[in-house]
Amino acid sequence: MITVQAALAGALIGGLYALMAAGLSVTWGVLRVINLAHFGLILVGAYLTYQLVSAWGFDPLVTVVVTAPLLFVAGAALQWVYDRLNIVEFNSLLVSFGLLMIAIQVATNVWTADFRRMAARDNAYATGSVELGGGLVLPTTTLLAFTFAVLIVGGGHVVLRTTFLGRGMRAFAQDRTVAAAFGIDHRRLGLVLGGVAGASAAVAGMIFALGNSLTPATAYEWFGTVFAVVILGGVGNLLGTLLAGVGVGVLSGLVSVIWSPSTEPFALFLAIILALLLRPQGLFRRGGVA
Amino acid sequence: MTVRTGLIGLAGAAAVLAVLVQFNAALGLPAYLIVLMVTILFWIAQATSWNLLSGFAGYFSFGQGAYVGVGAYSMAVLTGRNDVNFLISIPVGGLLGGLLALGVGAVAFRLRSLRGEIFALLTLAVPFILAAYARITHSIDGGQGTTIPLPGFPSWIADFQHLLFFLELAVAVVAVGVALAVHGSRFGRGLAAVHDAEDAAEVLGVPTFRYKMLAIVLGGAIGGMSGALYALQTGFVTVENVFGLTIPLFVIVMSVLGGRRHWLGPVIGAALIVVLEDRLAAFGLESWSSIILGALLAGLVVLAPEGLYQRLRTHPWIALTTFAVVLVGLSITGYWAEVDAILYAMLSAAVVAIVLDRFHRKPPKAAPPKAAPSKAAAPGEEAEPPEPLIPAQIAEPDGRVLVSCRDVVRDFGGVRALDKVSLEVSEGEIVGLVGPNGSGKTTLVNLLSGALAPTAGTIAIGGQQIAGMAAHRVAHTGVARTYQIPKPFASMSVRDNVAMAVMFGRRGASLAEARHRAEQHLATVHLAHLADAPPSALNLHQRQLLEMARAIAAEPLVLLLDEALAGLNPAEIDDAVAVIRRIHATGVSIILVEHLLRVLHHLATRIVVLDRGRLIAEGEPSAVLSDPAVVTAYLGRQRA
Amino acid sequence: MRNRVVSLLAAVILAAAGGACSTKQNQGGTGQQPIVVGSTLSLTGAFAATGIIHKIAGEQFVARLNAGGGLLGRQVKWTVLDDQSDQAKVGQLYEQLITQNKVDLIIGPYATPNILSAMAVAARHNMVLPHHTAVLAPQLTYACQFPGWSIGPTPNQFIPTMLFDALASLPKPPKRIAVLTSQSGSAAFVTDGFGADKNGVLTIAAQRGLEVVVNQHYAPTISDWSSIALAVRKAAPDLVISNGLGVDTVNALTAMKQLGYKPPMTFSLFPAPGPLLGLGADSAGVMSVSIFEPNPPIIAKVGGDAQAIVDDFKTRATAAKVAFPVFETQAAASWNAWQILTEAVKGAGKVDHKAMCDFLHSSGANTTFSGHLTFDPKANNFWPTTLGLKQIQNGEWVMVWPADRAAAQLQAPAAS
Repeated sequence: MITVQAALAGALIGGLYALMAAGLSVTWGVLRVINLAHFGLILVGAYLTYQLVSAWGFDPLVTVVVTAPLLFVAGAALQWVYDRLNIVEFNSLLVSFGLLMIAIQVATNVWTADFRRMAARDNAYATGSVELGGGLVLPTTTLLAFTFAVLIVGGGHVVLRTTFLGRGMRAFAQDRTVAAAFGIDHRRLGLVLGGVAGASAAVAGMIFALGNSLTPATAYEWFGTVFAVVILGGVGNLLGTLLAGVGVGVLSGLVSVIWSPSTEPFALFLAIILALLLRPQGLFRRGGVA
Repeated sequence: MTVRTGLIGLAGAAAVLAVLVQFNAALGLPAYLIVLMVTILFWIAQATSWNLLSGFAGYFSFGQGAYVGVGAYSMAVLTGRNDVNFLISIPVGGLLGGLLALGVGAVAFRLRSLRGEIFALLTLAVPFILAAYARITHSIDGGQGTTIPLPGFPSWIADFQHLLFFLELAVAVVAVGVALAVHGSRFGRGLAAVHDAEDAAEVLGVPTFRYKMLAIVLGGAIGGMSGALYALQTGFVTVENVFGLTIPLFVIVMSVLGGRRHWLGPVIGAALIVVLEDRLAAFGLESWSSIILGALLAGLVVLAPEGLYQRLRTHPWIALTTFAVVLVGLSITGYWAEVDAILYAMLSAAVVAIVLDRFHRKPPKAAPPKAAPSKAAAPGEEAEPPEPLIPAQIAEPDGRVLVSCRDVVRDFGGVRALDKVSLEVSEGEIVGLVGPNGSGKTTLVNLLSGALAPTAGTIAIGGQQIAGMAAHRVAHTGVARTYQIPKPFASMSVRDNVAMAVMFGRRGASLAEARHRAEQHLATVHLAHLADAPPSALNLHQRQLLEMARAIAAEPLVLLLDEALAGLNPAEIDDAVAVIRRIHATGVSIILVEHLLRVLHHLATRIVVLDRGRLIAEGEPSAVLSDPAVVTAYLGRQRA
Repeated sequence: MRNRVVSLLAAVILAAAGGACSTKQNQGGTGQQPIVVGSTLSLTGAFAATGIIHKIAGEQFVARLNAGGGLLGRQVKWTVLDDQSDQAKVGQLYEQLITQNKVDLIIGPYATPNILSAMAVAARHNMVLPHHTAVLAPQLTYACQFPGWSIGPTPNQFIPTMLFDALASLPKPPKRIAVLTSQSGSAAFVTDGFGADKNGVLTIAAQRGLEVVVNQHYAPTISDWSSIALAVRKAAPDLVISNGLGVDTVNALTAMKQLGYKPPMTFSLFPAPGPLLGLGADSAGVMSVSIFEPNPPIIAKVGGDAQAIVDDFKTRATAAKVAFPVFETQAAASWNAWQILTEAVKGAGKVDHKAMCDFLHSSGANTTFSGHLTFDPKANNFWPTTLGLKQIQNGEWVMVWPADRAAAQLQAPAAS
């Protein structure tokens, strides 16, 4: 029973990992930009949620209405900069790392390095849960994470499969020049994609703020897991990202409960290495962007 | 500068530094400069060792923390917990770092799919695993950390900082010396080729696996030694401190900023970043320091993507003069501390170099190609072109079989790309290999060049079985190929591209000799006038000619031309055909994958037709090309 | 576009140059030279949340000192540099302060690894190093380092003993305990001991006949607490000992709450004080350790300027937007360290590190919040501790043990 609960809890928190990773994965896969500043956007989104809740009494979930459009613009602006300066691949890694450093420092200047957490009276979600019976419980924060992840990934998947914009993106990911020949405007596409990634970062940040204490240096702690999820899911593969996030969460939870929490990072990264060796294109290969 | 002069210069510089530091009190040099230099030397060693694999060969590694950690823990466990002399812990750290690198490389380089970002992430995972292991193991760390006691040292060393300086200097000299030696050597050229076009390099005869292993092991060993010194310097070793992300990220930043293709790049990058960080901390601009550093990083990557060194070397004297002038100027006024002066001098030199470069973009050092690209006219009108090479064994072709495929099968997952293909090519032939798209032509070429292994069947080149051989060995059996989309080594001149093939070919040669022979091969394809140009300055036809020149420079028995005429206009095609004839005349047998009928009629002595992996026709060109089965194969896929 | 980037870069450089100009003025002033104290603090990075507290406390102390005439009649200036929570920088910056800035005195940074690095530098230059938060006594072997916060020479023994003694005074003392330990320096030390000294929570619990039903270590980077919460819920202990740092206990309790479980009693080793209070009712009764809390009875007992200091700190910290602007154990430790430094100078009569070190060993130092401190080199200068237990009652931390230093009684968990 305890194992089942651990797996369940792990699957849910995997939703948060997937939420964080989705935006990064798609911009990487389609636009060939490895945007570390995405972590900065998540961080800012989390802090903005905290600010809106603590200073103006918003309901945490509602803050997304404000933060998502804001970060959509930020994400699009970032992409515009990368595009204008023709920054791709490893150069984008370095430039975005510089931007991430700036974002973290700005957060420190505005909110100080203190741990910031929404007070219990403002944030009922933090300690709530849904009983499933038989002793199984779904914590509210991670349940929300999972729900949003499914919505966003599912929605993104549908968009990519059915709308023109989505098909254009998939075409663009596979072969830029030919896509351009068919009238796919990569600039506009890039902006939209960057914006949507930014909006997803806002949601991820909100979810993170629901259940955690914020400090600027947290952004660095996300690297390992998020990159693992991106790679395991297959770069650019939305559905794969979701599955990989859930997989990583379940694995971590099971290892922590069956052995001990101290062996968890060991097991997780070993599993990642094995996965990379055996299926480097990602565990859930669907070919190109999906 | 040759490797020898470089090493002598390095040793000289180190000696001067050592003397200056040893007598710093008498010379009035502030003690703090020694502290700063210790840090700079540490980062020079780290960045340089990282650059061996990641800069030179292009395999970006995020795992530098693993080697530092292993080295630091060697010092922590041996000297900190078990009272072993620190002078022993340092080489042990290096040994363990090298072994770790050996393990990582053995695993990562086996799989060809592990390139680029996948490799980077694999290396990212390694420090996490080691960190977790150190935390669980109480004899190593157990989460507690380890103090390194102050070591004893001989009395002629003034104090601990001096001791650290000498040790760090030694390791840094080893690091830079290795990088210097590698950069100017055949090994270094091989790494550069791996960086630019690994597949092409392998097929040319560069033993890519061995070279990459050597690079990673050297980097790991130096990183480990430097890591042991790091433990000594900080005095207290914890898991977060050595296995964290800081070191790998900064090492990348320094090398990229300074320049990754040259051994001086990481040195410049390390010096600049360390001094900058130091001054930012000293100014108390704590709320600004990360912003400035981040902005600098982003800015420099945009403005000088190949690194500062590239910018500086185009205007070396101006940069040096700026540095000296600003340094002396600021020091004389006495208004700024020496270190501030150094920082501003560096920044000024960098800014000047970048700005100058922007505004006076010098044309590439190669003489721009004068003639219009590759007019088929004028081959015979050049003044004294170097003589096309004629290999020694040219004689009447005696019909011996050079390539022999028996029942070759190649599967890709569920797809059978080649189905029991048997083929023989004899000396002196030009065999045309034709077939509709997807018929398996390129797969066959890949198999013949050793890039892929057959799923079943045998292939022999010049009598030697090649199945299972590494591609660079296959190259030495006498086969060479060109790529349909040319894959030149972008960082080398046209001449050096061809010289690589000579250096790593069957006979091998020194760089100078190889360059000389390269020019002869370039003459054969009529590219001699572009010998100094970078490949980026060539048009498509010229690049294909370069591919051919590179291929024949290996002095193969058999040349595989994979759609070498794709995308050319008729005049260029005529020129290329003439080149192919000339190549054939030197005694090289050719397998020509081609779609163009008139070319095949002109050149091929025999034609082989593939369709969906099967060999469906073989024989004289006119006969084969009018064979109804062949016609159906080409046209038969149209919808009714 | 690129030209604009170039101009921007040039502007940044000029701005930095301007910044440099403004800080590099000559020392030469009128009258007496100030005494310069140098140190680093983690103002950015992982430790910065608490680093800020020490910065404010230090600034307050120096302002007060100068207002009262300074030290040996000279004004005191404090140069503090940001070590960015990076241990490697600590050593380098202290060397810079000592050899380049030529500071007269030094004081320690924040967090054990950084303090150990600073100690190494202090040892090399034979300078006195008072510091405020390293409790890993066995590792602090330099004779002239002086702790502002002491848990005695063996915290791994003292803390569990004190905790179990206090709990034994309850009507129904806990019998079954869960121990959660962060794999980082001081926390692991208290649970497992160090080196040959195996005393710790686990061994002492066993000696007292307590049953350890959960014993889990976790990496400091842990992000998913649900498995730990599961294990604790399943075992249903009477007491959860969360030997962690920062927000570990907050995360653990939240994860347990999400599973519908609240431990009857919880002890947290070195938490960030504010976040636990933010849990509201869920953190009522949580215990921790402290050398000082600003409870009225305690302040009254301490007497002197204590109230004024506490109030002044609150004002300053609030102005600096600190989330928990309270002068409590961390700030008190900082105050102790500063007083050790100034007492040493006054006692020696001059800025002479050997004389200062000898003075401290022979005469000790008087502090506002911890009384008279004595330093025995055999105990690595860790003075007999005044550490006590504090507990969250009515939304505030109050000292509850030992009785003679308590502001209220230790509360048992509400009957369930």
